[in-house]
Amino acid sequence: MSHHTINLTVNGMPQTVTVEGNQTLLEVLRETIDQTDVKYGCGTGECGACTVLVEDNKPINACLTLAATMDGRSITTVAGLANGTELHPVQQAFVDDFAIQCGYCTPGMVMKSVALLSENPNPSEDEIRHYLEGNICRCTGYAKIVKAVQTASDNMVQYAGGDTA
Amino acid sequence: MSTRVLTNFDLQVPKDIPEALEILDNYQDRITPVAGGSDMLVAWKLGVESGNAMSVTALPDLNYLTYDDNDGLRVGALATIDQLLNSDDVKNKYPALWKAAEIFATHQIKNTATLVGNCLRASPAGDASATAYALGATLTFVSKSGGERKVHIDDLFTGYAQTSRKPSELATELSIPAPGSGSRSAFTRVTRVNEDLAKLNVAAYLEMDGDTCTQARLVMGCVGPTLLRLPKCEALLKGSKVDDATLDAVANTVNDEITPIDDQRSTAEYRRSVAPVFLKRTILKALS
Amino acid sequence: MSEFKTVGKSEIRVDVKGKVTGRTDYAADLKMKGMLHAYLVRCFDHAHANITKLDMSEAAKEPGVVKVVGPDDVTSNVFNQSVIDAMVPPGLEEPMGDIDDQKIFADGRVKHYGEAICAIIATTEAAAEHAAKKVIVEYEPLTVYLNAEASKQPDAIQFDERKPGNLAFQLPEAMFPNNIMGHGDIDAGFAEADLIVEDTLYTNKQKQCQMEPNSYIALYDDDEKLTCWTSTQMPKCVQTKLAKIFEVPVSRMKLIQTTVGGGFGARLGMVLEPQACALAMAMPGHPIKIQSPREEDWLTSPSRHPGDWKVKLGFKKDGTPVAAQANFASYKGAYYLDGSGVAATTGGWLQAVYKWENLAYTGQTYFTNQPVCGAYRGYGNPQQTFVMESMIDRALEQLDIDPVEWRARWHKQVGDGTWFPDVPYSSVAIDACLEQGIEAFGWKEKRAKYKNQTGTIRRGVGVGLTTHTSGAFPMLLEHTVCSIKLNEDASANLTFACSDLGQGAHTALRQIAAEALDFPVDDISLNTQDGDITGFDIGAHASRTLYVGGGAVMEAVNDAKRQIFERAAKLLEANADDLELKDKQVFVKGSPSKSVSLKDMLYKSVYNYDVDMETGGSFADGQIEGYASYNPPHCSPPWAATFIEVEIDMETGEYKLIEMVNTHDIGRAINPAIVEGQMEGGAQQGLGMALTEELYFNDEGKVLNNGFTDYKMLGPSDMPKMTNIIVEEPDPFGPFGAKSVGETGLCTPVGAVSNAIYHATGVSVTDLPITPEKILKAIEEKAAA
Repeated sequence: MSHHTINLTVNGMPQTVTVEGNQTLLEVLRETIDQTDVKYGCGTGECGACTVLVEDNKPINACLTLAATMDGRSITTVAGLANGTELHPVQQAFVDDFAIQCGYCTPGMVMKSVALLSENPNPSEDEIRHYLEGNICRCTGYAKIVKAVQTASDNMVQYAGGDTA
Repeated sequence: MSTRVLTNFDLQVPKDIPEALEILDNYQDRITPVAGGSDMLVAWKLGVESGNAMSVTALPDLNYLTYDDNDGLRVGALATIDQLLNSDDVKNKYPALWKAAEIFATHQIKNTATLVGNCLRASPAGDASATAYALGATLTFVSKSGGERKVHIDDLFTGYAQTSRKPSELATELSIPAPGSGSRSAFTRVTRVNEDLAKLNVAAYLEMDGDTCTQARLVMGCVGPTLLRLPKCEALLKGSKVDDATLDAVANTVNDEITPIDDQRSTAEYRRSVAPVFLKRTILKALS
Repeated sequence: MSEFKTVGKSEIRVDVKGKVTGRTDYAADLKMKGMLHAYLVRCFDHAHANITKLDMSEAAKEPGVVKVVGPDDVTSNVFNQSVIDAMVPPGLEEPMGDIDDQKIFADGRVKHYGEAICAIIATTEAAAEHAAKKVIVEYEPLTVYLNAEASKQPDAIQFDERKPGNLAFQLPEAMFPNNIMGHGDIDAGFAEADLIVEDTLYTNKQKQCQMEPNSYIALYDDDEKLTCWTSTQMPKCVQTKLAKIFEVPVSRMKLIQTTVGGGFGARLGMVLEPQACALAMAMPGHPIKIQSPREEDWLTSPSRHPGDWKVKLGFKKDGTPVAAQANFASYKGAYYLDGSGVAATTGGWLQAVYKWENLAYTGQTYFTNQPVCGAYRGYGNPQQTFVMESMIDRALEQLDIDPVEWRARWHKQVGDGTWFPDVPYSSVAIDACLEQGIEAFGWKEKRAKYKNQTGTIRRGVGVGLTTHTSGAFPMLLEHTVCSIKLNEDASANLTFACSDLGQGAHTALRQIAAEALDFPVDDISLNTQDGDITGFDIGAHASRTLYVGGGAVMEAVNDAKRQIFERAAKLLEANADDLELKDKQVFVKGSPSKSVSLKDMLYKSVYNYDVDMETGGSFADGQIEGYASYNPPHCSPPWAATFIEVEIDMETGEYKLIEMVNTHDIGRAINPAIVEGQMEGGAQQGLGMALTEELYFNDEGKVLNNGFTDYKMLGPSDMPKMTNIIVEEPDPFGPFGAKSVGETGLCTPVGAVSNAIYHATGVSVTDLPITPEKILKAIEEKAAA
């Protein structure tokens, strides 16, 4: 089994880890770096629970990424969004608009929403619904998640063109 | 294995193309190349054993997407579906390809999956590969001993999930000729829910001279072991005015050219019932 | 101006900040000293086979493996993974025929695809899984039975010698003469009918697909205490069961309920807790962690009961419902679980909705070589809603009666029998639901507009209606214990074992406590999830948590108030009965100036430094703690109706969901946003049951689609626009008049969408899920006829 030493930046913090060739980014984040806010939901890139952001706020599935191919990359997880106790506008909107029930899909859903608003700061409802495909929620029926993204979009007008937070 | 643990393999991550070609030359069919990985990692989780794997993600100079009226569209092996989606050139010049990129999987997968990878996967249900097929793409392969080899997509798909890529070859590019002024294309697919693999898809490419069709490439997916060209249907269109009579003739012919089966997504019976409908609608969409 | 301080307000949920920052841990996130990882080796070769050889010796030698554990290494105690039996009065098990038929591992015979054979404990997950490949198992395949019709045949292999004919359950003769649930004379009813509609239908094996996969940790420590961390919905019942299985005293069986990432019935009992605990017993001193891969969820936690229906309905010309006869032959899967549950309760729901003059329901469940069935949101109600609502509309079409008018005319009323016939309805506000619903939806206009269509693209509208329950009174044990401790700063700690599965129960119960005490919500904190601290609670099922938990909270608060008033009465020199508590002031009703500060009282009840030099005692009264052991007096069924508009492509059978209005009679919305969340989430599951979800098998019983690639649910872009209408006519028994909403929301869409497709196309698809393939086939068959 091949071993690879890789340098990652996770939520702004440098992490140097040695990984096996067949380890996923999800496994390394959760087990080696203890970043358990990134969730395992299906392992096949369908449910989106493992969604993290790489550079330019692009969302990827950590469960379908080989950790060894991520040398030098920068990763953001949901734990890296808040500024102390001040939640990111997307997080705050999820809280205020009741977009969270059991919470298991929430880390991935929030990251996906951050990615969407980074790419498209003023999405239509249709655009929101299509962009969120690939993140499964079984509790909410998606209605209040969509509402939260719209609220965040309204509140984030001043963040247009900026970084994650 | 399970969706939590992959089968064991030694992974190599070459840093330049000569290194990659050396590896392929040594290992040949004993190594699995992987780009975005969205298909391959699932296969490894389902238990496919690959003693060796080679990631091409660190290879330089393979992530490009260019267009000009001479060379047409040139898509590097590492250009992602997301890049296709964000390209005005793709949207304006190759609407079928752009449509396939729009509905392709999920945004997470779009950010790692590649058009070249999708073609090499050779799934009979591929959406982006179906449009590349209809648009008459060419793939470029390089190898240590063979140099550069170009393969027209008509010669790419050799069987279910099989291509004519030689084991020592690395795919570097997919190119599509620049569309002429009479070029029209459209893509349709049918699914169970919106985010899904297709149960039927159609990619249509036509060249029109006024209201006469001079060239047609029709591809239908999910109705055979590979994506299928529909030569009999194409022959009915070539040289004809695309009117109701022609379209009805095409609709009545398509079932002679496809061999759908029952599978998880649909039935042979349903596919036969709707293939004519969707083929007709896709051609009309291309012409609208 | 609301009459309430917090009830009726969409207070921010108490659990969401931890969830939105990723701080909240689920079972899979927990790590402990000395933890080892376990992988359960499952049979993926057969759905029915005798195990002729099991050799773990090679696997034991694999790198990282600490121990291999097979059937001979664990308890051979037999159990039942459901906990419904804990709620059934002893003495009822026998006539119901409830049995325990499961062991930790397959008992010499695999009865469903994916059954657990043995386990590998290793230092890492990967090591355990790779070692599993070295386990040698040999099988002698047996005939596979995949539906009731097959397994009931006289020559079928018997699943359990206690259940001849593989009939796991039918309504017992002792309680239901001729095994029939109903009333009147069904034959006479049909004889009277002017119109009879009759058909066979199939309802599907839907899976909850909660987003949190199944993960458990168990530890058997040096105090001989067995601890299990699990996101079960039913912590107290599971604690009792595990104690029994592993023969440890209940006091040495600690159950810690981790944050529940969705349940919907999949966790109404045990999933892999027995296996986790068995492995913990095999490796004392080490926490053993099982993280079951997603694909195993379809194989291990219980699904909805699928089955074959025969329905025959009789009506008079004017729509009078004279006769309803239905048989539901469900497929039980490989083990019994709550075999007597759905088969019987389905009949309960069926006869609860409309005033059938004569009714006869029969229900059976037969063992099949399929993963187990148990509880899934609705518990038989979605199935009966689909078949009955569909068949009723087919009759109404022939009678030319409007579906909403008929339902408004013939639904049951206050005083009529509920799903448990001896219990009469306490409140029924479905008429308000229908009135507001048809207005918001534009029912009449759309019914008229879509009456005679001829084009390729057609639209239709349909309604689905049902009632449900709030808790399982009087059929099952309904008991919740709650205590509320008042602190010296006039804050309160509310302690209960009530489960929040994501549905928002903790937040709503906290609001009830706050309202009853007239405290700000933020002054109430919760103690839950630790089984050693919390008092008894049945668990979250049958939509009981708000209704029964809320009742328990109110009684605990009343107990605390009684103690407050008793003490304040002395201070104010008044009668305790004349006192009131508002804004943390205790005062005499009508004389607000005669008051005492609650905070002062509470502070001094703990910190009173005066000492009686003679007796040596102190003058502190002691901290006030209210306590309640609560059993509800009713089950206050909620009612609901869904209206939906669909668009059908007649050439392809494809549908689009245009718009949906869900109307619910829920008595009182303690937290309206939480109520809407249940309506909206239930709708996504109901539409999925109706249109896209099913577990498929090949002829050999191998599960084909245990993964999200081919088990399809509606995603965000598939869902229609939804309007929620909450009707509040307070129920006499519910806390602040509240009834439940957790399950009803799944049921009504199933009937509504079937009826909308029927309205649009004139075809009725009788097999769930209603796919474009089936719609097109039905359209083609109708055209050919």
